[in-house]
Amino acid sequence: MKWFGLIATVFTGILLLSAVPDFAAFGDPDSPANGGLGDHPSVSQYYITDTYTDTKVPNIVTAVLADYRGYDTMFETVVIFAAGIAIFAILRSFSGPVAPSHPTAIDTSVEGDHQRIIIGTTCRVIIPVIQLFALYVVAHGHHSPGGGFQGGVILGASFILVALAKDLSAALGRFSEKRYLALGSVGILIYAGFGLLCVALERNFLDYEILHRIMPATDPIMARSHSMLGVEVGVAFTVTAIMFAIYANLSSKGRLEQGF
Amino acid sequence: MSEQLPAIILLAPLFGALLTGLAGNRDHRRCFPILISALAVSFGCAIALLVQVSQSGPIDYFVGGWNTERVPLGVGIQLRIDALNALLLVVITTVALLTAVYSFRRAGEENTEKTPQFYMLFQMLCVGLLGITVTADAFNLFVLVEVSSLTSYALVAMGSKSRGTVAAFNYLIMGTVGASFYLLGVGYLYMQTGTLNMAAIHEILADPAFGKSSTVFVAFILILVGVWIKMAFFPLYGWLPNAYSYCPSTTSCLLAPLMTKVSVYVMIRVMLSIFGADWVFQSLGWSHTVVWLAVIAILAGSVLALAQVELKKMLCYLIVAEVGYMVGGAWLANHWGMVGAIYHILADAFMTLCLFIAANIFIKHCRADRIDQLEGLFKRMPLTSTGFVVGALAMIGVPPTAGFFSKWYLLRGGIESGQWGYVIALLVSSLVNAVLFFRIIEIAYFGKNPAESHDHAHDEDSHQGQAGEATLLGGEGRPATVIPLLITAAIVILLGVFNAPVVEIIQQALEGMPVVGAAAAAR
Repeated sequence: MKWFGLIATVFTGILLLSAVPDFAAFGDPDSPANGGLGDHPSVSQYYITDTYTDTKVPNIVTAVLADYRGYDTMFETVVIFAAGIAIFAILRSFSGPVAPSHPTAIDTSVEGDHQRIIIGTTCRVIIPVIQLFALYVVAHGHHSPGGGFQGGVILGASFILVALAKDLSAALGRFSEKRYLALGSVGILIYAGFGLLCVALERNFLDYEILHRIMPATDPIMARSHSMLGVEVGVAFTVTAIMFAIYANLSSKGRLEQGF
Repeated sequence: MSEQLPAIILLAPLFGALLTGLAGNRDHRRCFPILISALAVSFGCAIALLVQVSQSGPIDYFVGGWNTERVPLGVGIQLRIDALNALLLVVITTVALLTAVYSFRRAGEENTEKTPQFYMLFQMLCVGLLGITVTADAFNLFVLVEVSSLTSYALVAMGSKSRGTVAAFNYLIMGTVGASFYLLGVGYLYMQTGTLNMAAIHEILADPAFGKSSTVFVAFILILVGVWIKMAFFPLYGWLPNAYSYCPSTTSCLLAPLMTKVSVYVMIRVMLSIFGADWVFQSLGWSHTVVWLAVIAILAGSVLALAQVELKKMLCYLIVAEVGYMVGGAWLANHWGMVGAIYHILADAFMTLCLFIAANIFIKHCRADRIDQLEGLFKRMPLTSTGFVVGALAMIGVPPTAGFFSKWYLLRGGIESGQWGYVIALLVSSLVNAVLFFRIIEIAYFGKNPAESHDHAHDEDSHQGQAGEATLLGGEGRPATVIPLLITAAIVILLGVFNAPVVEIIQQALEGMPVVGAAAAAR
């Protein structure tokens, strides 16, 4: 079986490399992906020249992600959500509390106490900063690198830090299972809700332009920009919730008790 | 509102899943009505789309409204419904709806504390499959393949604790490899064409200069192998039998009919709509090789099925053989072969559903997962057995079931293109199916009634409430499981009887993407 795997890998590698001579040169401005082919203008060219006039969003990546290909991104969020639900479905166990196989995790010696003070104080200082930064990354996603996925991961990490520094129950006390499962759904609900709102206003799904009718003091182009922020917030919700859900279930073998 | 149907068809189960997550945890009884209503909306959309498409041709839908004159095709994501995927949408939503009815209480029993999560994954899987079907964007297809695969891994893993998780892990590894191959292929294609829209890629590749491009060639192989892994084409089928036999019964009823069939659809879509028949059949010229691979798949699947003692395992190997039918038919490179392959997608989905529901009822109520334990079933559950027999006859290919007509078209395609190996393989496989199923029918019909040869070991663990219910219904399973079985059996027969209109729709689909391309026709 090992040999078979090796042969398959080598064969795939040769296959992948065999096409290399046919590739366009690296960074070639006239390659099909950059310059387009004949009368087919390339997509990337369009994004570079027209994104700002279309959406007033300086960060092209965010505009492609959340607007031009927002439908993909919605389903990427669904993938993350599905991963969280999958982990829950496979790992979460509801059988009653079982005595931990290891002795208690909290070291009660004096040395352990000192460590707890150092770690605890550091976390108390740093976690608000992490969370504030996460919100900045989410909110500033269409002006600078960042966005819902990145901000969500940072926000989720701040809760994981609580769990690491104290214990899982402390983190669950701030962000309970019921809440994170709900928040995961709410995130996608926000994203898909923006899309559905456009449908309700008789435009295509995720055609944010029409939302200027219900957003005060916006024109169609700014409506796109604002809606992108809206869906990024939805993405951030789901990613935060699922990051923490995955950690909580994996670290405690699905029991959500004091884990190792 | 009707122009929004392509989006609504998959938003309904998506919102269903989210609502289940929000409302279902507190009271598990809320999950089932949400599931049924979401899928019913999808089913309605699918029917409406089929009617619309067959009357007025393909529907284009641009997500985000990126289709003004200024914007080139491919900037946004396009959904496109033609006759081919409209038919498949109806199949997916029908199978999902029937399975949903079947899951009433079964899902709750099999995943007591996780019913809401089970139903969420169920609906997200439907979202994935419907999304794969409606999209006209090569990358968007990958994203939805991810949605459907991830949910199906979890659904399989929710089965038996030891074997289910191992099967799911194998499935996860193989499935991920398949999806990665597909993604790599799309990457190579993008490098050569600069777009992800299927129609735009097709237009660019129509240039004969691409007939010799090694990048396009590698892209095609990668995509094809990726899709073959996903559909369990022999010899890449290793993950399928265990994954489908050790998962919860509702999961097997949903996955077995749909996953492989949707993958076959993806293959046909890639062949005809992205690369085009000219490129695939003329420039590449592999159709003989692939048809022979399909012959091996058919024979191997049949032989492996003969060797099985467990009923569900046997059905799983038959799926491997059936995949061979469809791949072979699609690669015959002639019109009737393709019609047969597409018709077989529809027929096989319902045949498989029929057999899997029946097998699951047998396993549940008789504790009989081995074929030789099915003795005397006809007396105990005549309705379920009838449903099983209809599915079996369709698998064998007895008229007037759908299985007969799909084989008919496949054989016609095989004879017209002179692929005698394929023709013989089809006939041999039908014979093997006949042997397999008549053996079961014989055991179930003429075998001793288990009441006479009492098996005490089995009675002990049989549930009290179940036993009461069983006598109440004269030995049949619950109405919620038997009714979808009978509806499926009826569909298998009706699809066969009314094969002419269905084939007409398939031919309408093939007008838009001819199997015998312009270059071949000119010769």
